[in-house]
Amino acid sequence: MPLERPYTPDLLAIARATLLDEVLPALPEAQRFAVRMVANAIGIAARETALAGDARTALVARVAALTGEAADPLRALAAAIRAGAFDPGTERHAEAARLLKDLARLRCSVSAPKALGGG
Amino acid sequence: MDEARRVRLEAWLRAETGDAALAIADLRRLSGGAIQQNWALDVRCGDGCTAAWVLRTDNAATLAVSHGRAEEFALLRAAQAAGVTVPEPLFLCPDRAVIGAPFFVMRRVEGVAAGHRVVRCGTLAGGRRAAAEAVGRELARIHAIRPPRADLPFLGAPPADPAAAFLAGQQRALDRQRDPHPILEWGLRHLARRAPAPITSVLCHNDFRTGNIMFDARGVTAVLDWEFAGWGDPHADLGWLCAKCWRFGNDAEEAGGIGPRDALYAGYVAAGGAPPDPGRVAWWEIAAHLRWATIALDQAERHLSGAEPSLELALTGHIVPQLEWDILAAVEARDAA
Repeated sequence: MPLERPYTPDLLAIARATLLDEVLPALPEAQRFAVRMVANAIGIAARETALAGDARTALVARVAALTGEAADPLRALAAAIRAGAFDPGTERHAEAARLLKDLARLRCSVSAPKALGGG
Repeated sequence: MDEARRVRLEAWLRAETGDAALAIADLRRLSGGAIQQNWALDVRCGDGCTAAWVLRTDNAATLAVSHGRAEEFALLRAAQAAGVTVPEPLFLCPDRAVIGAPFFVMRRVEGVAAGHRVVRCGTLAGGRRAAAEAVGRELARIHAIRPPRADLPFLGAPPADPAAAFLAGQQRALDRQRDPHPILEWGLRHLARRAPAPITSVLCHNDFRTGNIMFDARGVTAVLDWEFAGWGDPHADLGWLCAKCWRFGNDAEEAGGIGPRDALYAGYVAAGGAPPDPGRVAWWEIAAHLRWATIALDQAERHLSGAEPSLELALTGHIVPQLEWDILAAVEARDAA
């Protein structure tokens, strides 16, 4: 449990806004790239923090169910895909494709939410 | 660059040019280049003329897969001889004692290269169609360079099957990562299932994309950054240029966000390139996303390992999910077709 409000996502959001609205305009061009990178990093961290832990856990559980491997399900999935276990025409191809799309959506929601704009 | 290096550089340039009165008027670091350092170098010659050059040398951390400066100098010479628009290579110094690392000097070229600016400006090179045609002509001239070449021995033997060689390289790239990447594996597996037949190798630039091509209002002024060049499938360069991840947000213009794809192909064929096979280019476009993703993972690893703490390298890792999203969509579309 966080000890005091405002909590992390809120703090990161206001820190990012301050950086972009108040610091960035006052800087010479040479320093702006670095500040934009810092703002970008804060944005990623804020989205990662705000992500519901359940979403990640539920996905990993689906991967474990698909691969039958509970210890390191993502590694098992990667190996099974390489071996052709989920190629088109195999029984669980569609299930694997759906799962990967959900995984990609979750990863983009943190790293690159703009990518999801087109669905 | 400290005073001692500058003095040694000036002496070396005097000996190389045979101009004992040559003097460095200005030397300043240019922005960009995670791997190389570029310096704007202005000199005053003994006869009173001035010259604008670029000095290109290595950063401390160099990617293992990229060529050194001597190799890049040889590639620039070969490209220039083939009619490719490149900055004219002038002098090569393999001796580390002069400025601390090997370097070469080339003529400075004016123009716009930054990707986001190029794709936003519709008037470069005479407009989008003309720009894409000009880019196609440059690429055809590069691809006219064929093995064997005694002046390019460092490129090694051409691969018998460029697609198979690419797939093997990507598998190694995924195997060296600390985390598994099932979505990238999905892309790799798709490419392995649908690999094109072997093809005769040509010289591929291997980083021929928006951002590495400089323009002015009249045309292409330079094709830059030759350090990844190698023998391969000419469609690999077309796919890298056209891949959605290198259109800098201007997705409707399929030739690198610059102009229409058919104009690119028309320029390519007009300058002697073999008519591109659309299926092969589509394969190499997915391959481009995979390659950019594994490059991004390697760059992030330079930060993660502690070898080179850097916010820019750290953020490069976060490009991967977007590339994965695009790979899944492309694979789905091709499997459904």
